[in-house]
Amino acid sequence: MKWLKLAIKNVLRNRRRALVTVLITAVGVSAILIGGGFANFTYVSLKEMAARSSGHLIVAHKNYFDKEENTPMEFGLEEYRALAKTLKSDSDVRYAIPRIDFSGLISNGEKSTIFMGSGVDAKYEFKVKGPFLVIESGNVLSKREKEDDPRVMLGTDLAKSLNAKVNDSLTLMSTTVDGGLNAIDVTVQGIFSTGTPEVDKRSIIVNINTAQSLLVTNKVSSIALHLRDTETTFNKYDEFSAQYPELSWETWLDQAFFYTGVKNLYNRIFGLLGLIIAMMVFFSIYNTVNMSVVERTREIGTLRAIGTYASEITRNFILEGLVIGVIGAVTGITIAALTSLGLSLADIQMPPPPGQTNGYPLIIDIPANLYLIAVAMSLFICILAAWLSSYKAAKKPIVGALSHV
Amino acid sequence: MNILETKNLYKQYKQGEISVNALSGINIQIPEKAFTALLGPSGSGKSTLLNIFGLIDQPTQGKLYFCGKDITAASEKELTAIRRHQLGFIFQGFNLVPVMTVFDNVEYPLTLLGLDKKTRYERVNLMLDRVGISQFKKHLPDQISGGQKQRVAIARALITKPKLVIADEPTANLDTKTATGIIDLMYQMHQDFGTSFIIATHDERMSSHCHNSYQLHDGVLQ
Repeated sequence: MKWLKLAIKNVLRNRRRALVTVLITAVGVSAILIGGGFANFTYVSLKEMAARSSGHLIVAHKNYFDKEENTPMEFGLEEYRALAKTLKSDSDVRYAIPRIDFSGLISNGEKSTIFMGSGVDAKYEFKVKGPFLVIESGNVLSKREKEDDPRVMLGTDLAKSLNAKVNDSLTLMSTTVDGGLNAIDVTVQGIFSTGTPEVDKRSIIVNINTAQSLLVTNKVSSIALHLRDTETTFNKYDEFSAQYPELSWETWLDQAFFYTGVKNLYNRIFGLLGLIIAMMVFFSIYNTVNMSVVERTREIGTLRAIGTYASEITRNFILEGLVIGVIGAVTGITIAALTSLGLSLADIQMPPPPGQTNGYPLIIDIPANLYLIAVAMSLFICILAAWLSSYKAAKKPIVGALSHV
Repeated sequence: MNILETKNLYKQYKQGEISVNALSGINIQIPEKAFTALLGPSGSGKSTLLNIFGLIDQPTQGKLYFCGKDITAASEKELTAIRRHQLGFIFQGFNLVPVMTVFDNVEYPLTLLGLDKKTRYERVNLMLDRVGISQFKKHLPDQISGGQKQRVAIARALITKPKLVIADEPTANLDTKTATGIIDLMYQMHQDFGTSFIIATHDERMSSHCHNSYQLHDGVLQ
């Protein structure tokens, strides 16, 4: 306590210099927290979007993920209802939703274009999509769709390309499981946007029955498992893949190429920024302590002469660095918390990321471990800078230090 | 028993390519509980000899004994331990720590010894009384006069009850009246505590108090 009091007094010797150093440390800590909080929000959102899109776990025929199908649904799941029911009975599983992935041509009678289709269980699919599927017009598919009036949802750009509106009639054509060609007429139920133009240009969604009728099959491509807690994904993956070795399993992460790409990019960008900030804080503290060391060389000599070990001198300077670090970190955390609160209240929208059409709110979501990392990093930098700048002075010959002017 | 003894002590400094002999073949014996003066003009080597006696500088050649023990080749750590426990310093420029109060400056060496707070408090108050500055104990060094600062320095040097106090020109920065007071105080402390003093000085009044005086000239003991 005595040494800490002395360190505080020494820091306050040159108040303006100490204030500037504390502010630089605080700005560094807050920049790391705000940048990290923004990246974290982006990761969490993309993770959620990816998991809601594909399901936390995807189970399919053992060849489905690795081999190309020669005919549609060659590697489909046959007894999928029983399997879905069994999987759904697991307490960690919220939904087990069968899906069919298919492709073909969609026509308005005058123009035809290719589509990438999803046959879904309307009862659950739109619940799990939540805010990540934006309905631009019309409605989502009904679970009580009439057999003789199949419905379709179109991606915005596809609808634009076909000049299709809600309640318009279109024709879907696709290859059946036998290799023949089949077509059905569908009515536009709604137009949606995923926020990705490339997807919206080709995507359609139909009820699973409609897809099966078109492909003339009773199989599905896969079953998407939506878990109650995303964090259990990899445990459940291990559990289920051991339990059902005859099937092929993937996690949402295996299919989240956009999430992985963005995370890798942001990690590099924010990592580099963090490094620059850390260097800035380091040199600032190093400079402050160094100036203090030079000014106090004679005092160091005196303290050494009256029996203070060099290590004790260094320790005192490290304590001074720590005082600056702690005050800087606390101030930085306060700045970051207030900035985060201010930004969420201001409701600022970020522009759409590359390849996307929709912006997203600027929210700073700082996880608890990032606070710990930022504080630990600032303290480590302060200790290192103080140690480096004081070590040499503490070892300087005492006579030389005492005659320092 | 001698508190300090040197045998054929040399100290050379390098000035560029040239070696300068600051001390040449010093043989000296300082007895315990002595009040000793080192006299000599500027550049005579008395500060160099005092630094070696204070274990903050090392001889180039020769032997140095502290309380009968050869410490010529002692490590920096060992020398620091001796300085902490058995030596006190009084500097010409007072060398008090400016951010510490008078009390804290005097308490500092006791903190290094690891004494508990109560003991430190009692000993510092007693010492401040003895040197006559207890009313200034909460003052910072900048808030007291030169003579008072030197009294604080004397208190700091004696607070650990050292065997030897090294004083380098302790009255050089003081007016005549204050200097006389400081000389009297040091002598009184020497009498009271039985502490050995080695004082480098120009002050003739100081040498009148001393049991022994050594005159240095061009690094040679006269």
